[in-house]
Amino acid sequence: MSDLVLRLDGVGVAFDVRRRLRGDKHWALQDVSLELRRGQRLGVVGRNGSGKSTLLRVLAGILRPDRGRIERAEASCQLLSLSLGFVPHLSGRDNAILCGLRLGLRRREIDTRLAAIHDYAELGDFFDQPVASYSNGMVLRLGFSVALQVQPDVLLVDELLAVGDAEFQRKSAQAIHERIHAGTTVVLVSHDEERIADLCDSVLWMEHGRSVMTGACAAVLAAYRAAVGARQV
Amino acid sequence: MGYARAALRRGLRMRLHFLELLWFSTYAELRAERSRSYLGLLWWLVEPALMMAAFWLVFDRILGNGGPGYLPFLLIGLVVWQWFKSSVVHAGQAIWMNLALIHQVRMPVLIFPLVNLLADAIKFGVVFALLLVVLWLAGYPPNPAYLSLLPLLFCIGLCAVGGGLLLAALMPLLPDLRFVVEQLLTVLMFLSGVVFALQRVPAAFVQWLAWNPVLVLLDALRGVLLQGQWPDAAALLRVAVMAAALALAGVAAVLRLAPRYPKLAA
Repeated sequence: MSDLVLRLDGVGVAFDVRRRLRGDKHWALQDVSLELRRGQRLGVVGRNGSGKSTLLRVLAGILRPDRGRIERAEASCQLLSLSLGFVPHLSGRDNAILCGLRLGLRRREIDTRLAAIHDYAELGDFFDQPVASYSNGMVLRLGFSVALQVQPDVLLVDELLAVGDAEFQRKSAQAIHERIHAGTTVVLVSHDEERIADLCDSVLWMEHGRSVMTGACAAVLAAYRAAVGARQV
Repeated sequence: MGYARAALRRGLRMRLHFLELLWFSTYAELRAERSRSYLGLLWWLVEPALMMAAFWLVFDRILGNGGPGYLPFLLIGLVVWQWFKSSVVHAGQAIWMNLALIHQVRMPVLIFPLVNLLADAIKFGVVFALLLVVLWLAGYPPNPAYLSLLPLLFCIGLCAVGGGLLLAALMPLLPDLRFVVEQLLTVLMFLSGVVFALQRVPAAFVQWLAWNPVLVLLDALRGVLLQGQWPDAAALLRVAVMAAALALAGVAAVLRLAPRYPKLAA
């Protein structure tokens, strides 16, 4: 696969309409094909319900395709998640360890990064207090600080999230921008076309669970805007 | 050669990571349980003690069915049953309770029921050690047959693993199961000789009840603890094979259905 990290060929994913051992299926992804190369920054655009988030979960290995083929090189893919099931009665420190383990880090890797997590989350003495005593902003800051310590080969981002107060929002946005521009392979799902044009070097346009067009930002975004505009007239 | 070594190293890293995740998640589960109630970990002891008091009152004092030595007999049954029941119920709900997490991150789903099974096994270890002390004080000292305790408890643990994993595999797809599990377990408790001895069962039913591995194991365990009697090796082997088959069926069910869980609504 040379510098190819991921290749999807006609991938489809079906969800159960109702919880049953057997039952009707809803195809959230119908037919998606794409190639992702090392260092590529791919933006994904499409209207609500087009399958963008489902695609990210396929790339992360969370969802297994029900049809089509997916080829992976030796590369870790991680979906940026801010709160992986924090346990309210545990301290911020213990929750950071638990989340780090859930994100695939080894215990010794987390231990060496705990000081950085503590500093970045700006929790002070609260780091050793139960998470149940945290405000929403503090929980998000802790989640973001842990997520930032995981350095996958492919970073998958579902909307760039504004976390915490204004100062922390600026800090977290800058951290993601730095990560994106540091040569990491990135897949970014967003409704913000300007941000995609700014951060990505290529774009995938999705409609009704299908990949419609892939290519340079300017061409794909222009075609996407024209199609969306035509529907609204 | 280099590729094989890299694959070996990756496999080893995954296994070590799984063990670290299992161990720390179990610690988190036990810490959270301690904080969830006022009495915390004391409930591990209070719950079987309360159940023992209730059954002793009904079966021994009111109905007069107990007989001499009924209290230690009942205590052993309830302590072991409490472990089995808690393991099956907690492990059974584990995947269903963690669907939101399963949607967000790629994790081996087997970890969720295993965390509950390990946490319940640790709790049981503490309670069982206390039970041995209580039995000694009550006139049932340690005896050479104690050497068979480990395989007996291991087989009971395997039954709990099998029941818990099978339930864990099915509950996300059949959530109604959680409404009937408690009732089914209550029936199973009475079919497992927790409150009565196998010897008191009419002969016509014994051959059928002997297919219940928990009953056979509990009977053997009481024989060891109260009479210093070694378990029947042939019966133990048969039950061990059944327990292992149940546990393997549980693991296979979870692994087979694992790809469906991220596609279910949380």
